Amino acid sequence: MQIALFVTCLTDALSPSAGKAVVEVLERLGHEVVFPEAQTCCGQMHLNSGYRREAHALARRFVAVFSRFDAIVTPSASCAGTVLEGYRNLAEDLADGELAAGVEHLGATLYEFSQLLVDVLRVTDVGAAFPHRVAYHPSCHSLRVLHLRDQPLQLLANVAGLELVEHADRESCCGFGGTFSMKNAATSTAMMQDKLQAVTEAGAEVLCSVDSSCLTHLGGGASRERLPLRTMHLAEILAKSRGSAPVH
Amino acid sequence: MARSFRDAAPFPKAAPVFLANPQLRANLRGATTTIRTKRDRLVAELADFESMRQQAEAIKNDALGRLGDLLAELETNVQAAGGTVHFARDAAEAREIIVALVAAQGVDEVVKVKSMTTAEIELNGALEAAGITPVETDLAELIVQLGDDLPSHIVVPAIHRNRREIRDLFLARMGEHGLAAPDGLTDSPSELAAAARAHLRDRFLRAKVAISGANFMVAESGTLAIVESEGNGRMCLTLPETLISLVGIEKVLPTNADLGVFLRLLARSATGERMNPYTSLFSGVHPGDGPQAFHLVLLDNGRSTTLADPVGRQALRCIRCAACLNVCPVYERVGGHAYGSVYPGPIGAVLAPQLDHVVSDPVSAALPFASTLCGACYAVCPVRIDIPRLLVHLRARVVEHNQETGPHLEAAAMAAAMVVLASPRRLALAERLFSALPGGALRRLAPRLPGALGAWAIARDLPPAPAASFRSWWSHHRGSQPAAASQLRPTAVLGLLGARLSRPRRATSVPPTERSGDARHKILNDLATLRRSAPVSSGVPAPLPQPARSALETFLERVAAYDASVTRVGPGEVAPAVQAALARSGARRVLVPPGLQAAWLPTAGPTCEQDPGEPAAMLERYDAAITACAVAIAESGTVVLDGTSGQGRRALSLLPDHLIVVVSADQVVDDVDQALARLRPGTPQTWISGPSATSDIELQRVQGVHGPRRLDVIAIA
Ligand code: SF4
Repeated sequence: MQIALFVTCLTDALSPSAGKAVVEVLERLGHEVVFPEAQTCCGQMHLNSGYRREAHALARRFVAVFSRFDAIVTPSASCAGTVLEGYRNLAEDLADGELAAGVEHLGATLYEFSQLLVDVLRVTDVGAAFPHRVAYHPSCHSLRVLHLRDQPLQLLANVAGLELVEHADRESCCGFGGTFSMKNAATSTAMMQDKLQAVTEAGAEVLCSVDSSCLTHLGGGASRERLPLRTMHLAEILAKSRGSAPVH
Repeated sequence: MARSFRDAAPFPKAAPVFLANPQLRANLRGATTTIRTKRDRLVAELADFESMRQQAEAIKNDALGRLGDLLAELETNVQAAGGTVHFARDAAEAREIIVALVAAQGVDEVVKVKSMTTAEIELNGALEAAGITPVETDLAELIVQLGDDLPSHIVVPAIHRNRREIRDLFLARMGEHGLAAPDGLTDSPSELAAAARAHLRDRFLRAKVAISGANFMVAESGTLAIVESEGNGRMCLTLPETLISLVGIEKVLPTNADLGVFLRLLARSATGERMNPYTSLFSGVHPGDGPQAFHLVLLDNGRSTTLADPVGRQALRCIRCAACLNVCPVYERVGGHAYGSVYPGPIGAVLAPQLDHVVSDPVSAALPFASTLCGACYAVCPVRIDIPRLLVHLRARVVEHNQETGPHLEAAAMAAAMVVLASPRRLALAERLFSALPGGALRRLAPRLPGALGAWAIARDLPPAPAASFRSWWSHHRGSQPAAASQLRPTAVLGLLGARLSRPRRATSVPPTERSGDARHKILNDLATLRRSAPVSSGVPAPLPQPARSALETFLERVAAYDASVTRVGPGEVAPAVQAALARSGARRVLVPPGLQAAWLPTAGPTCEQDPGEPAAMLERYDAAITACAVAIAESGTVVLDGTSGQGRRALSLLPDHLIVVVSADQVVDDVDQALARLRPGTPQTWISGPSATSDIELQRVQGVHGPRRLDVIAIA
């Protein structure tokens, strides 16, 4: 199956290894990944910060670049949420019927990485091995915009040697919130510190999520506090091959 | 003098002060965790919660879509029931109307039921300025008032205080306002509730005028519904001679039947109870029962403007349950005061700016940004207000205002970002520039930089710059040639990195409402215009599935869950059960309403006296009361009294400390909707679910405040 990768601007610039990992996992499963080089950014930052006009231009660009593909994958739940829900609201607010039609089409083609694997490709074991204690942070947009269920956990459960640790208040926000993290930095980091404390108290060595933005924020805090904690995107863990054939 | 939020700082400035208070953080965390757990458990109990939310949303949309007509219908019906209706366009008009009504009674004290709307119009300050003392009677409001404090939560205004702080406050301040707290008062919530009962008892009994809000109004019957726990509301609604209710115009529902879904949703969402202890329904004036003068003041104060915004108007569906506050991770960290608004938390962040015209002041303009858009609020909201969408919508209004009013640093940074993001070539170049930056030095420097970068770095290291972006990796290993450099000015990138994020500035304010002319005419006219231009979409409410269990069994089990005593008897065995109940409480003087079945009265023990019909406050001298009921509800363990034969006036089931209610099996229905169908609209109703109680101290339910502290339900099976 040919799958177009929407890598997101943040992953592109700051966490390219997560993007590479998505490519590796999908190719290991026998799929062809293409990267439409005309892509830039879904416009989430502009949209969520109130820059509707700018976001609208980026939304139209996104639709133009991606509407020709039958399957699109992105490593970011919040960017997928922006396209599927944010664009719909934007199209309604600005009465842009063309954008609305574009979003409708993307609703059937755009998937967050774990959704694509579990719901579309029907794979829960990608042949990975990662002998570490891992905590999973379900990002807010994965839970409450995309309504992801336990797809990431199913995938993690089949990683050889991986021990999944449960932490307190798992579903509460990490405090990132886009420009909130800077406009209201004190509140943002207070939330972050609670999250990091819960995760380290649970004994995790690695904190995993399906949103690089949350991980940049949490990883920055862990680094500042010199915590023995690494952040990794789900794809980066799944890319650690155990060398045996994946179970389809 | 009552404090107000007038001199509050904008959220980004205010929040750090509250974040730095470990006691406050602990109090909030404890209280919100308690209430979230209770709410989740009780919501899970209802199989049809989702369809109830949709039904509530549809009813509210329908009502908002024809608000003008409904208000006119409500006005007619309240007046037909002996009430007077006033319209107030803004806070100042509402204050004037209410102060004049109170002054006309020649009193210098009023008792108040907890009401966010009176806080919205800053009524207490206006009353004080007119020489009238407002006495807050809700436990949490009393705590706020005694502490010269401000409310920090919609349902539990003193949620920021713990039991120890409340004990200290009672000991220090109660004496200044009336009966002092007893020496040796401990911090046990039940002792604190008892101290509040004693402190306020005499105020209730002598009050001539009461002021309330309302949770719902019903157009077709002119009914007001007031939901509470402690019995202070019932005291205010039944004992004084004059009642003034201030209610926002958005609170009207079309029909009596519409109340059902909201009563089912509200308590579960608000306090995590099947039903709050008391719900009072009344329409205008009821001869021989309760206040004989009733004034309804309908408040616009920005609501019709809000209704004119097709996205923003959904905030008017709010039923003030505060579920969104209790799950909000931002609220949990900073508390309500940081929002600088009477309505705090997620709903405050979308309602306050709209009522206040968003960009007119810096506190309001900062509120839509006081959220991570995590969506926890939307997930619990019983009327499905899409708060994250509203926040984004209001952010756009602030930003568009900033863009119009001249150069703005954040806008410039966002424009610079657009230069980069509008072209993959420029993005590739920016990424290469970024990778080439001296990462280590920048990391060390960042915490001292101004603007966004410095804010990020207060507690977070910058991410290490990767050797190459994904894009460049792809083009080297998989794809075409690397993107060629284009004419990106490096200053654009630096501008992006260093730009100070904006703080919304003071802007020209919206012109004040025109004060002349007829307020009623203006509000109804505006709404009529709106209706023509922008109908609110509405769906057809779905029918509710009925619970399957035996109604009587469920009813008795759920009454018992409120710590009420439950006795099942045969038809001839009521009198001995009543006698035993009276013996348990040691009641000496027992009150019975006219028309109560004589066969139910005990043949031995204390004598039962029929209500002598004197002023209601005189009923205080009775220790117990026995009454029949109109209908009982299994799902919530509720008995409903409607003042018909064998039940008497409302004060009868309120003032004596022990209440005995006799229910027959054929009166028990499955749920609230069936109960409403059996009740006659327009009657004075009291819905009782357990003894009076409060959750105002650390969100722990404590039994026994102003209403009867002991409830016996005797069921004839
Ligand atoms: S917005 Fe919804 S959850 Fe929040 S107080 Fe209003 S009704 Fe309750």
